[in-house]
Amino acid sequence: MDVFQLLISGISQGCVYALIALGFVLIYKATEMVNFAQGDMMMLGAYIAFTYINLMGLPFFWGLLATVLTMALIGVLIERAILRPMIGEPPFAVLMITIGLGFILRAVAGAVWGTDTKAISNPFTGGVARIGEASIGFENLAIIAGTAILCTVLYVFFRFTRLGVAMQAASQNQLAAYYVGIPVKRLYSLVWAMSAAIAAAAGVLVAPVSLVEPVMGFIGVKAFAAAIVGGFGSLPGAIVGGLLIGIVEQFAGLYLPTGFADTSAYVILLLMLFVRPEGILATMQQKKV
Amino acid sequence: MSTTDLSLSFGGVHAVRDVTFEVDEGEVYSIIGPNGAGKTSIFNLISRLYEADSGNIEFQGEIISNLPPHNIARLGIARTFQNTELFEHETVLKNMLIGRHVHRKTILLSELLFLPGVAKQELRFRQVVEDVIDLLDLQSYRDQVIGSLPYGVRKMVEVARALCIQPKLLLLDEPSSGLNPEETEDVAFWIEDINQDFGATIIMVEHDMNLVTRVSNRVMALADGAVLAVGSPEEIQNHPEVLRAYLGD
Amino acid sequence: MRFVFKTKYRQDVDLFKHNGQRFWYGLLAIAVLLAPFILDSFYVGELALVYIYATAGIGLMLLVGYTGLVSLGHAAFLAIGAYVHAYLLSRGWPVPLSLLTAGLFTAAVGAIVGLPAMRMTGIYLAIATLAFAIIVEQVIAHWESVTGGYRGMLVPDAQIFGVDLSDGRPFYYLCLFVMIACLFAGLNILRTPTGRAMIGVRDSEISAQSMGIDLAKTKSIAFAISAGFTGLAGGLFAHKLGYLAPDAFTLLTSIQLLLMVVVGGLGSMHGVFYGAIFIGLLPQGIAIMRDTLPAAIGQMPGLEPGLFGLILVLFLIFEPLGIYGRWRKIRQFFDEFPLYRKSTHKRQKSYLRTERVR
Repeated sequence: MDVFQLLISGISQGCVYALIALGFVLIYKATEMVNFAQGDMMMLGAYIAFTYINLMGLPFFWGLLATVLTMALIGVLIERAILRPMIGEPPFAVLMITIGLGFILRAVAGAVWGTDTKAISNPFTGGVARIGEASIGFENLAIIAGTAILCTVLYVFFRFTRLGVAMQAASQNQLAAYYVGIPVKRLYSLVWAMSAAIAAAAGVLVAPVSLVEPVMGFIGVKAFAAAIVGGFGSLPGAIVGGLLIGIVEQFAGLYLPTGFADTSAYVILLLMLFVRPEGILATMQQKKV
Repeated sequence: MSTTDLSLSFGGVHAVRDVTFEVDEGEVYSIIGPNGAGKTSIFNLISRLYEADSGNIEFQGEIISNLPPHNIARLGIARTFQNTELFEHETVLKNMLIGRHVHRKTILLSELLFLPGVAKQELRFRQVVEDVIDLLDLQSYRDQVIGSLPYGVRKMVEVARALCIQPKLLLLDEPSSGLNPEETEDVAFWIEDINQDFGATIIMVEHDMNLVTRVSNRVMALADGAVLAVGSPEEIQNHPEVLRAYLGD
Repeated sequence: MRFVFKTKYRQDVDLFKHNGQRFWYGLLAIAVLLAPFILDSFYVGELALVYIYATAGIGLMLLVGYTGLVSLGHAAFLAIGAYVHAYLLSRGWPVPLSLLTAGLFTAAVGAIVGLPAMRMTGIYLAIATLAFAIIVEQVIAHWESVTGGYRGMLVPDAQIFGVDLSDGRPFYYLCLFVMIACLFAGLNILRTPTGRAMIGVRDSEISAQSMGIDLAKTKSIAFAISAGFTGLAGGLFAHKLGYLAPDAFTLLTSIQLLLMVVVGGLGSMHGVFYGAIFIGLLPQGIAIMRDTLPAAIGQMPGLEPGLFGLILVLFLIFEPLGIYGRWRKIRQFFDEFPLYRKSTHKRQKSYLRTERVR
């Protein structure tokens, strides 16, 4: 019983990491920028959902849709204001600016909504499904389902649409992409919109299982680790990495002393960086001279 | 220096196939071939930036194909890069001083305290660097940051930096690419200077046949990673295989 | 505009380029030495804190600005230095020995962290340092027998050569001394082969290797020296804090240190000092601003980190060369007036992926 239950919990938690990691990888794949504030964008999404659903009384799924659209818009605004001037700058500068962005988002959230924890009314809490002898809450099922749906959508997008291919081109060489007529700047805005939307969805799905508070975005650091473990340029890698860390954490919590569960994500990360820095599903290349 | 049956593949692409050649001390040896023939790959193999799939490289009687890249310079092998790999944020002088790194005799602790021995070493390094600056006429560019230099000067700084190692063997990767005919003339002059006055053996990857004919003792022609022919510049220019590789059938 | 006439190679090697510099720095030295007798004790304490930040900053600048290795977890080294120092003090060790040992121990840890740095580049290394810092934080929190865990650890009152360190003035001079020593060592490193090797690693790893620079060794040394200096700063910081707990050394602290070097001006030691003054004075500045701002903003709980973020963002967009960079531009403007061109300092954008991979 224990193993299976742990596995289910691990998959559910892993999907949370995976959702945020997807946002990271998406931005990186398309723009070569690392967005350290992805977790905080998830946090903002959760708060906006709270506003729509709890404060304004929208039904859950309409609230979810409104949140996703609003966050997409916010994503575009952030990209225009902060990231657009940084195109072509060294990666370190971009990383630092997104770290700064994270701080700003947290401060704004704390100011607008207060720092006490909130909860979002949703149709999942309380419901429990039974699989064999293990039980899994509806909210966890929703997370897993949501992740699966998002993955499929993204896969189709990148594989089969012109926009997806164009994004990959732009990530390799912005100037060349310009020259062949790809609207690089608009693509960037679109990518950030998509990433913000994913983060928003993640926020709404995660809210029932954890508390909504300004620091909930710190889960982003573990999600970042997940993205690296899975292979930073790879969308499936984000999922694999997230699931791996989610599951290992659960088992570490059971078999190892306290405190180790928390660090297990980082230990895995460090191990991966030693052994195979490109990640499980590698896409990195080396400079050719 | 010599290589034996050197091979390298990237996935399905055979960049270098069973390449065997030798270079005598003191000569100027050119490697020519169409793009993608594997010329720079051979340089990268000698510098140990690439790991060969098979084959050996020998230098002065010792096998070097298993050394880490940073030990190659210590043996007296220096190289330049096709797309100059200079230290962009630093001055010409600093770039060249870095070239003296293999001759360093001080340890970290003495450097932290800047003991007199360290200062003397700095002055000795500077003397050698100045000699190279004189050889290549770079005086006016000493204190300028690399990023602000014109292309021709950057190529010279690249060579100057390699010379600061005081190498026995100098690998020049397309020294005349991107230069106008006048600058290419200068390249010919200083290749001769380096070979005769400085006493370095030179292996050169080049496309400019005039330059190759003018300075080389021997030429090796490569195509598709394999050796086509080796001989004097005149022999190679008239070699049927070489002509076919360049001009097609 | 001053034009330095050089007659000896030694002039290029020296720390001061000309006598004008010696004069001004001399004045600064006198001002700094006399400060405790002129200023109010509160400001003396604040200056000591600035020196502590600067010491850590010198370490971080060597790593990030000169070797190009990003560390998102430098607070870990601060913590290690602080805890080791406090621990040894509680065992009765004299202050100089304890401080030095704390620094060396932290340097050793840094060297170990630096070894795998060989295999990681840029962003991966940054994340690895972050992971390292989080693990260190957890270790401190759970190793209660040594560190006191979340309950914290008292830093014993200490004396150095018979003088009580909890008194403001001796502590100020101690911090000043440590900072000057680290600055001297740092500047020395930079004008010798090791420092140039670090710069080589930053600007082009491939050609650095071809010049005979051992990448792994250089990165390890960079980490070791950086960690060592930061560890010394940590030991001094312990005295300043008085009571150590894991939450004094968080991600926010690491980011603050990075903020210091970025805002100060990456790539030069001047930047460290501008940055240290900046983050040393920032809390006071915020406290003053709090009263003048409307309540919604002024009383907001996350104001300090929020402002940090904002300042970081603004500097990176508008003044990536930092405070020192801006100062140099201003001086150049006056030097070259009216021929000054803004485009001299225009940033080189690199749009090619291969250009961004070193």
